[in-house]
Amino acid sequence: MPARSDAGTSGAVRHLTMLRTYALRTVLVWTLLELLAAFQVPSAGGVPLLFSWMRTLIEPVAMAAEGVVDLAVDLNLGVRGLQRIMIDNRRMRIQLEELQARAMLLQADLDALREIGELVGPDAEFEAGSLIGRCAYRDLVAGTMEVRTAQSIILRRDTPVVSADGLVGRVIRSEGRRHWLQLLTHAAAAVAVQTEDSLVHGLALGTGGYALTVAYVPRQAVLERGAMLVTSGGDGIYPPGIPTIRVARVRESDDPFLEVTAVASADLRATQMVLILPEWAPAEGGGPP
Amino acid sequence: MGMPGMPAFLSQIILPMVWIVAASLIRKERFWPYEALLLGLAWDLLFGPVVGPGGIAWTASCLGLYGLASVVADRSPRAWAAFGAFGAVVVILVQRLAMIPLGLATSLTLQQLMWSALLTGLWCGLVGMVLALDFGKHWRAYRVRKLR
Repeated sequence: MPARSDAGTSGAVRHLTMLRTYALRTVLVWTLLELLAAFQVPSAGGVPLLFSWMRTLIEPVAMAAEGVVDLAVDLNLGVRGLQRIMIDNRRMRIQLEELQARAMLLQADLDALREIGELVGPDAEFEAGSLIGRCAYRDLVAGTMEVRTAQSIILRRDTPVVSADGLVGRVIRSEGRRHWLQLLTHAAAAVAVQTEDSLVHGLALGTGGYALTVAYVPRQAVLERGAMLVTSGGDGIYPPGIPTIRVARVRESDDPFLEVTAVASADLRATQMVLILPEWAPAEGGGPP
Repeated sequence: MGMPGMPAFLSQIILPMVWIVAASLIRKERFWPYEALLLGLAWDLLFGPVVGPGGIAWTASCLGLYGLASVVADRSPRAWAAFGAFGAVVVILVQRLAMIPLGLATSLTLQQLMWSALLTGLWCGLVGMVLALDFGKHWRAYRVRKLR
C-alpha cells in the first residue's frame, strides 16, 4: 500500500509539473504572438504598436530613474547646503560669542567710564593731579590689588587710592604702568577715621577678611549702626574726608573702648577704576592739593 | 467557404476545426498543440489582418478541447459536434480578445457566434459520424463476401 501511495503521489506531482509547464509555455507563446502582432500594427505615429507599448512600459521606469537621479542631486545639494549652513552657523556662533564678550568688555568699560566720571567729574574733589588706574587683578583674601595706569609712572609708596565709593587703599609698590595696592582690608592696614561730624575718632584696622574693626572708639561715643566714617587724615597717609567704612556692628565690652565692626564703603570686589592721588603729600600738612 | 457565389452562411463554418477536434478526441497522448499554432498562423496569413492572434486563438481552442476531452468520455458523433461548437466559440472569442489590444477587434454579435458554433458543430459532427460509420470496414467486408 505505501508503494502504491508513493506512486500515486509522484504521479500527481508529475501531473502538476506538466500542467505548470503547459501553462508557462502557453503564456510565453501567446505573449510572443501578441508581440508579433503588435509589431505588425502601426500606431498613430507610424511606428509599430509594439514600440509604443515598449515606450509605455519604459517611460515610467525612465521617469522614476530620472526622479531618483534628480532626488539624489537635490539631496546632494541639500547636504552640501546644510553643511555650508552648519559651517556658517558655527562661524556666526563664534562671532556672536565674540561680540557678546566684546559687549561685556564694552559694558565693563562703560561702567569704568561712569566710575571715572564720578571720580573726575566737575564736582570731584581730587580731580587735579590725580591718575586713573584700572584694576587688573585683585586678591581680597591677601588684601592686595594690582592696578594699571595709562602712562608709565613711578608712584610714591603710600600714595592713596580711592574709588567712586570711597577709600581703596595705598600704593605699596610701583613699576612703570603696574602698581600694587594694599587694600584697607589687609590685615596690616590701618586708617585713621572719624565720623562725618568729627565727634568720634577711631582707627580702622583690616582683618584680612571682608570686615574691618574700628579700634579706640570710646565707650561714651555715640555711634550707630550704618554710620559712615571718613578718613580723618590723622594717619598722615590718607587725605581727610574720604568715605572709608560703614559701621556694621557696635558692641560694648569690658574694655574701655567699644567693639566696632565695619565694612568698606568701596565695593572692593567690583571696583574697576580707581583714582590714584600722587600729588597728595602727607608730609606737607595733610590735605588735598 | 466564404467564396463568392457560395451561400453566405457557409462563411461561418470553421472547417479546420475538425482537425483539432479529432486531435483531442482520437489521440491517446496529448502534447502541446504546435499543430494548432501552425494552423492558426496559417489562418492569420490567409484571412487575418495580422499574424499572431489566430495562433493564440487556435492554441487556446485546442487546449480547451484537450481539457474537455480529458473529462468527457463520449466519443460519439454528438461529442464531435459539441466539441466543434465549443472550439468554434473559443476560437472566435479568443481571437477577438487578442485583437482588442491591437485596436483591430471587429464587432461580433451573439447571432454570428451562435451560427458559427452551430455550423462548425454540425460539420464536426458530420465528420465524426462518417468516422463512426467506418466505411473502410464495410468496404473490406463487401470485398471479402464478393471474393467468395
